[in-house]
Amino acid sequence: MQTVLNLLEQEPLRFILAFGAILFLTLNLAAVLTMAERKVSAYIHLRYGPNRVGPRGILQPLADVFKLFTKENVSPNRADRWIFLAAPIAMFLPAAVVWLVIPFAPGAVVADINVAILFFVAVTSIGALGVIMAGYGSRSTFSLLGALRGAAQMISYEVPLILSLLGVVVLAGSLSFVDVVEAQAGGFWNWYFLPLFPTFLAFYISGLAEVKRVPFDLPEGESEIVGGFMIEYSGMTWALIQAAEFAGMGLMSAITTTLFLGGWQPPFEFLDLGQFNWVWFGLKTALIMFTFQWIRWSIPRLRMDQLMDLGWKVLVPLTLVWLVVVAGVMLIV
Amino acid sequence: MAVRLPEGALEDRLERYLEGFRNRHGLEESEVVGNTVRLLVSPEAVPAVLTTAREELGVLHLSYVTVVDRMGSFEITYELADLRGGQVRVKAVVEGEEPVIGTVTHIYPTANWHEREAYDMFGVAFAGHPDLRRVYMWQDHFDHHPLLKSFEINTRRTFEGLR
Amino acid sequence: MLSEERNIESVALSGRETGRLTDPDIRDEFGLETMDMNMGPQHPAMHGLLRLILELDGETVVRCDPVMGYLHRCQEKIAENRMYPAVIPLTDRLDYFANMHNEHGYCLAVEDLLEAEIPPRAEHIRVLMSELMRLASHIPSIGFLLLELGAFTPILYSFRERERIQNIFEAVTGARMMYHYIRIGGVKADLPPGMEDQIWEYIEGLEQRFTRDFVDLIAGNEIFVSRTRDIGKMSPEKALEMGLTGPPLRCTGVDFDVRRDYPYSIYDELDFDVITDDAGDVEASYRVRIGECLQSIRLIKQLLERMPEGEVMGKVGRRVRPPEGEGFSRIESPRGEFAVHIVSDGSDTPYRVHYRDPSFANMQLLQEIVPGHYLPDIMPIMGLIDPVSGGWDK
Repeated sequence: MQTVLNLLEQEPLRFILAFGAILFLTLNLAAVLTMAERKVSAYIHLRYGPNRVGPRGILQPLADVFKLFTKENVSPNRADRWIFLAAPIAMFLPAAVVWLVIPFAPGAVVADINVAILFFVAVTSIGALGVIMAGYGSRSTFSLLGALRGAAQMISYEVPLILSLLGVVVLAGSLSFVDVVEAQAGGFWNWYFLPLFPTFLAFYISGLAEVKRVPFDLPEGESEIVGGFMIEYSGMTWALIQAAEFAGMGLMSAITTTLFLGGWQPPFEFLDLGQFNWVWFGLKTALIMFTFQWIRWSIPRLRMDQLMDLGWKVLVPLTLVWLVVVAGVMLIV
Repeated sequence: MAVRLPEGALEDRLERYLEGFRNRHGLEESEVVGNTVRLLVSPEAVPAVLTTAREELGVLHLSYVTVVDRMGSFEITYELADLRGGQVRVKAVVEGEEPVIGTVTHIYPTANWHEREAYDMFGVAFAGHPDLRRVYMWQDHFDHHPLLKSFEINTRRTFEGLR
Repeated sequence: MLSEERNIESVALSGRETGRLTDPDIRDEFGLETMDMNMGPQHPAMHGLLRLILELDGETVVRCDPVMGYLHRCQEKIAENRMYPAVIPLTDRLDYFANMHNEHGYCLAVEDLLEAEIPPRAEHIRVLMSELMRLASHIPSIGFLLLELGAFTPILYSFRERERIQNIFEAVTGARMMYHYIRIGGVKADLPPGMEDQIWEYIEGLEQRFTRDFVDLIAGNEIFVSRTRDIGKMSPEKALEMGLTGPPLRCTGVDFDVRRDYPYSIYDELDFDVITDDAGDVEASYRVRIGECLQSIRLIKQLLERMPEGEVMGKVGRRVRPPEGEGFSRIESPRGEFAVHIVSDGSDTPYRVHYRDPSFANMQLLQEIVPGHYLPDIMPIMGLIDPVSGGWDK
């Protein structure tokens, strides 16, 4: 038994296994989040939501996945076939890979790299490429519009996203997620969302825009361009895009938790659960995800020009000013 | 509000409309029934009469344009409303199988689609209409005008050439 | 006036003002082209089956050409081959969000031909049903507007109210959607026992939750305001020129309501206000619809209070055979002025029936005001007009 465990500690094998586990987690996360989304929306709409498959409908995701697996994968006649088929993968993989650097609990991180924040920024940008591939590859006016909107939006909102990350980097003095979490130890008043509150808001809003959730779901815009870049997808390719969206949403919640809400740190010292601190991480991430869904079902969508105005005229100056303030304070203290 | 709607008692207004039309145009028939001024004019006079209605008398609203196929002649009705209880019904009779009448879109822009509908359903050509296309029926391969009395409901003949 | 040159010129003007359209010189220099796009007929925001041929410069609409006829049944031709009473169920299929108004308008036109007497109770029930129908149509159209802006929840809240009103209709007429209730000479049947109390109870409840559900949750929302204010802006002259009626006309400030200006049934005995707004944009039309819902509630209360006893069917023979002549009626449907023009030749069947549907007339606005707006602004403009497929396609 011990030999097996020791073997699992061996570097290439450990990494491959961990990566498999992360893939499994993200794919399941999509299923769980779909279910959560449907239930949350149902409660907001004063209806029941799915309640037929299994007790209180909790097996609904299984039925959904089975349906999607058995559906035909239709691709348009004039589509650029390889780009069309590669796009969902190009969208899903970045979202899954970033999970590798997130610390779930003390010592529970697949790859503790010292430039994790940079890694996160670099890899999530690839997601925009997937959107462009999907929109361009399906060769439809609607998906082209959706892809262009998606590209413009994701690239614009990278800027406030990165600028708000810099505040955290300045405070923690490190680019590693593990260091950032450890710097926030000792109760919730040490978490970064308090000193960096404007930055936290900017990060949250740009995070919403990065994962294309309402009110920034313009690339999909189901009432104007009917699904946007994913209009031509069906069956498993569509399911993969959905999984990518939900994995991205979970990822953004996890990153927000890690950077601003203390990661796996408990809110009070006496609530420290040791190895089981992943419960705190999970709870905080779930809370952020719930607010994403709450917003999704409460407010209408912005228009493209208003979206750009918000990004460049409000969020970028806000984060820049607060970055200067934080840096100045750090210099003096 | 920039728009001035007509004022005054309904009877006076109807009388004013009737006088206004009678003084300016040669009308074939004209009378006031209830709250309606009914006019029968020659087809050539229709645009002029409607110009009078809008520009001189202030009847601002064209409700609709409708056609009745009288087998051999077409009765075209313009229903105007002054939005304050009075209405003006201008009627023109066009003889012949292929009726032509002047458009009123430059007077009441809303007539655009109403005239397109009349063209689509009856084949009434509105001379000078900016955009006289069919509004409901197929643009190509369909040369019937369904509301004509001569048009029988017959699936095979109707859809010939469309398949 | 609607010629091609003028259209392009006005578009160019609005584009220059807003800076939304590419400068023609730049376009020539870089060889830029506009993109043609087909929106519909299968499109979730098109209120049925409508196809818009759009020409886009980036996301700005240069040209918008509505194509209709995907739901055309040629109702007017079918009506020519049916006896007078048998046309009523067809009118239900016209504007299927305001069926009672269509029935009401058609019956009024036939009664105009027959010069029939309607018992007062029947008139009251007709107006009561019409006003309930107006609520059942206005409340979901607020929901549709929000749905098209991307907020999903209000549509479900509004359909909850429509469901409850449909329950009332089911109890009264026996059907939830295609009622066939208003007949020539009166209505099909009296209200079931206890129905008046039930309607009163529902209206009281609705009055209490109306502001909470449809005003407080929506009106002040920053995104809603930014998406609707100054969108689809038009002057009262423009609105009259385009032949608009109903809420799209009243939101520009023209004080016209068929119920007050051309009173039919018993509207001249009832007390209500005509709601107008000066802004003439999508937000104003939303406010007008909210105000009209409250007026409908007021009207329904008055009707229930003064509901007389008596017959519900006038003395019209089973076989309707009007004299030769023309029958005409004009009523205020939730979307605007609904008019019916019937020509009779003295036989059992109408010689010609013409429906003037408000959706059809109001839709002309699309090709006039959409150019110069962004593509996503088409949806709130559709919400401003609020057309119904069965209405514009007859």
